Amino acid sequence: MSWRQTKDAPFYVGYLNAVPKPLLVFLSIFAVCFAGGMGLAALALSSTQNDPGSGGFQWGNRFEQAGLLELRPYPVFRVPADGTTPARTYMLSGQGKRGVFGPAKANKETPVNLRGVPVNRGDLTMIQVGKVEATEDGPTGFQPSDPVPLGRWKLSGEICDGKCYAGAMRPGRGLAHKACADLCLTGGIPPVFVSTGPVDGRTFFLMADKNGNLLGDEIKDLLALYIEVEGDVERLDDLMVFKADLATARILK
Amino acid sequence: MSVQYMPVLWNRNKIFYDAVLLIAVGLYLFVFIRVAPAFEDVSKPIDGAILRMRAFGSCAFLMLTIILCIGPLARLDRRFLPLLYNRRHFGVLTAGIAAVHANYVLGWYFNFSPTDKYAALLSSNTSYGQVLGFPFESLGIAALLILFVLAATSHDFWLSFLGAPIWKALHMSIYAAYAFVVLHVAFGALQGPADPIFTGVVAASVVLVCGLHFMTGRMEAARERGEETAKASLQENGWVVAGDLDDIDEDCAKVVTLNEDERVAIFKYDGKLSAITNACAHQNGPLGEGKVLWGCITCPWHGYQYNLADGRAPAPFTEKISTYRLKLIGSTVLLDPNALPPGTHVDPVEIGGAA
Repeated sequence: MSWRQTKDAPFYVGYLNAVPKPLLVFLSIFAVCFAGGMGLAALALSSTQNDPGSGGFQWGNRFEQAGLLELRPYPVFRVPADGTTPARTYMLSGQGKRGVFGPAKANKETPVNLRGVPVNRGDLTMIQVGKVEATEDGPTGFQPSDPVPLGRWKLSGEICDGKCYAGAMRPGRGLAHKACADLCLTGGIPPVFVSTGPVDGRTFFLMADKNGNLLGDEIKDLLALYIEVEGDVERLDDLMVFKADLATARILK
Repeated sequence: MSVQYMPVLWNRNKIFYDAVLLIAVGLYLFVFIRVAPAFEDVSKPIDGAILRMRAFGSCAFLMLTIILCIGPLARLDRRFLPLLYNRRHFGVLTAGIAAVHANYVLGWYFNFSPTDKYAALLSSNTSYGQVLGFPFESLGIAALLILFVLAATSHDFWLSFLGAPIWKALHMSIYAAYAFVVLHVAFGALQGPADPIFTGVVAASVVLVCGLHFMTGRMEAARERGEETAKASLQENGWVVAGDLDDIDEDCAKVVTLNEDERVAIFKYDGKLSAITNACAHQNGPLGEGKVLWGCITCPWHGYQYNLADGRAPAPFTEKISTYRLKLIGSTVLLDPNALPPGTHVDPVEIGGAA
């Protein structure tokens, strides 16, 4: 068979129902190979996808506690120690790709009762806030601890939006997720630095700029990439805060 | 060949073609979304929307690869020609599958936000100045727009309305769409965590598409070198030597290259010779690779037919193609390289009557 037509070569005319027999056999084999090949390709491509991690919404473990809202610089919820349970600090997000700056500012340093759904991945927990109500039954005389400085660190890893990475989306990291992460951060979801190496046993860090303020557009070109960046790390109860000096940031790959 | 435009003219072959296409695509999506996750080694399943967008996106990519391979395969081995017959169905379905992929992307990554999802799609990532982190979504949008335009203009009505040269040039942008899709994948999914299978599939696609086109390009070049006789031959009052009579099979043609854009098909049939342009009036299909059936030249691509003596489609059809004059001296075929207006009658050369 070649481009050159010969007298004896079977010739296919699509609007006729009669297909030359040699072509019929060939096309039947091709049809089976084509459909089978597509099925095998799907099996190979789908079954070997990378693990998106164990994060996810904890729908069966609704969150409701009294505590204080603070801006560090993103909204966090401080909960006092209770018996053997030490004090905790939770990152917060709103519904969808929205932050909770409004309720956090409105109820700043006032005891509140906060209800929501935890999104959890390992020791990273974010609360998707459902309702915030001022309460008089809150922790009386609760004085949240000051941040504990842990020194200056050079960390390697990825800047993600805290909610998707915690498990609101699986997977919620990587370049395919970059635009979504950007949209989440624009909406007020706190950025999280996911380090490949731990600091004091933790690999997730709430991010702030080097002065502890909100990060702006300078973060956009670094989002979802594997980068190296220096900054001060401090511990806020069980939550790590990374004050990243983005001037030192370097894209590794 | 058409006297009026119908959405689809069904026959058994077309139904079989579409059935195989739908079964293959359905099987791909079913296995990807329903079967394969059972074999995944993951802590928690990938989100359904992401799984589906990957399924539809990779399916569209594979379909586009196959579409682009059909052309060169049909040149290398004529048994693949039937796949070319209803390739537009393949293309329209690919555009549909790609649109579903885009819809999942819009409805998942760009949804649940105060920003409108279409505005978010274009404004979320604007890092156009960097390779890593480049907004690969824009490349996918460009490919999708091309696929939409090609799908919308795939019907013969548009071929007739725009004219074959414009229609053909428009539909050659399928190569641009493929390039955009490859870049979309290269700047997106391939930059994620290492996935050797997906990387291998994309690399194989590029090698296959480029390799097959390179092979057919070489074949065409070799054929044209073989036809140098037509250009460098002895000239006799403006006639060119087209080759020997024995070079042509009965009911088949020899293609003579006059220049890059002009090829002539010389058909031998019933003890006679006739010459017509090699380009079919339908989609510029290679008529010289067709055959004489029921006394008519029949295009190998879509079965368009023309009378041998005047290049006119038999009534009630109205397509016309250029004809050429021939002379036979001994067993040497001579061709007048000046094309006659489409549909011009030229008396066939009687082989037995040669001087």
